[in-house]
Amino acid sequence: MSAERQSCGEDCLKLTTYFGERDRTPNGLLADELADIYGAHELQTSVLLRGAEGFGRKQHARTDRLLTLSEDLPVVSVAVDGRERIESVLQSVREIKRGGLITLERARLLSGEIGEVTLPQELTESAKLTVYVGRGGRTQGTPPFVAVCDLLHRRGIAGATALLGVDGTRSGRRVRARFFAGNGQVPAVVVAVGSGERIARVLPELGELLSEPLLTLERVQLCKRDGELLASPHELPGTDEHGMPLWQKLTVYTSHAATHEGRPLHMELVRRLRASGAAGATALRGVWGFHGEHAPHGDRLLQVRRHVPVVTVAIDTPERTARSFQIIDELTCEHGLITSEIIPVAVGAA
Amino acid sequence: MSWWVWVGVAVLGGVGACGRFLLDSVLAARAAGDFPVGTLTVNASGALLLGLLTGLAVQGNLLVLTGTATLGSYTTFSTWMLETHRLAEDGESRMAIANIVVSLAVGIGAAALGRLIGAHV
Repeated sequence: MSAERQSCGEDCLKLTTYFGERDRTPNGLLADELADIYGAHELQTSVLLRGAEGFGRKQHARTDRLLTLSEDLPVVSVAVDGRERIESVLQSVREIKRGGLITLERARLLSGEIGEVTLPQELTESAKLTVYVGRGGRTQGTPPFVAVCDLLHRRGIAGATALLGVDGTRSGRRVRARFFAGNGQVPAVVVAVGSGERIARVLPELGELLSEPLLTLERVQLCKRDGELLASPHELPGTDEHGMPLWQKLTVYTSHAATHEGRPLHMELVRRLRASGAAGATALRGVWGFHGEHAPHGDRLLQVRRHVPVVTVAIDTPERTARSFQIIDELTCEHGLITSEIIPVAVGAA
Repeated sequence: MSWWVWVGVAVLGGVGACGRFLLDSVLAARAAGDFPVGTLTVNASGALLLGLLTGLAVQGNLLVLTGTATLGSYTTFSTWMLETHRLAEDGESRMAIANIVVSLAVGIGAAALGRLIGAHV
């Protein structure tokens, strides 16, 4: 890849599927089938993330708090590669008889040597950076996701959350987490949000830090931070210029320890969104991260209460997103970082 | 124990586990709050039935099959403990303590009530 192309990244697509861990297709589990397809297409990267709680279109509540309800947790499968390859993968994915929701988002992909980066206009104000790493291995003596979070914190990025995958592909190779294995090669992601300028400045450093750097940049709107309302999500029309329905994604980054009237904030968010008739929401528990001033942290041994970061995602029509934002706004009077994104393509159950 | 009792334990153990799974799924999906109502209901009803069996002076193989196998796999200590720990992890310590105290009180009460009913039938 030439240095010039590298400087602003390569256009890529991010294919995300939200479904249930136990959702089946005629060939087996949907989670396995998707990972098989991504592996067969040797995608640059894909990762399967297991949610902690959530609900979908059928409004069935799932949570890992209760044993019986945790047998079919929400999962999120993310695949990233160039436009052509994702489009051909999408073809195969759409042919599967399945439930859940598929979204397609545009992103810029950077890999290999990362030099000085000039960001396009739409990313300068705020941007979402996703760093694709392995769960294990050592980067400056710590797991790579810890090293990445520390660097992002030092450079004043608003927040970052490390999420561990259970399956996926890395550089075209399928890697699946197993019992009694190191699982160091299994993918993990660090999702960070911050000012585009600061993110641009940290990119070359990230490139040096990681042995095989792979990261994406996406456009994002910062709506609220630590109780301070910055902007309401952009009001979008129901359809785009081609008459295709538009969707919006609200993401809430909180700590497991943040509460609303004594209940963990992310649980209350999911509960209220479900009660309001939202199309769906998924809470993903991270292992390490930070937002705001706090130093990066995870859980500590012998500490009962959990302190890991949690990411809650809600995808809906623009109309319902405006309503969901009111609910989220009301609950996040002190904590949390809230972003809004436009989803150009969303496909419901086939 | 004869071989058919072993087979009976295996089959009825499975029946008890399925019963718990079904009842707990229905209750947990309907319950709005954080309190593990499903597990409490399962354990309390199991305690009541076991009390009833002993009150009725059920003995021998029949007690093994109904009590140890069926009710033993229907009720669950481990889930009770796990869900209490999960509440504590979420910082809901009052709810965690309530889950222990209420389960103990209701469980012992149910077992005593079951024995009382059994003894008077």
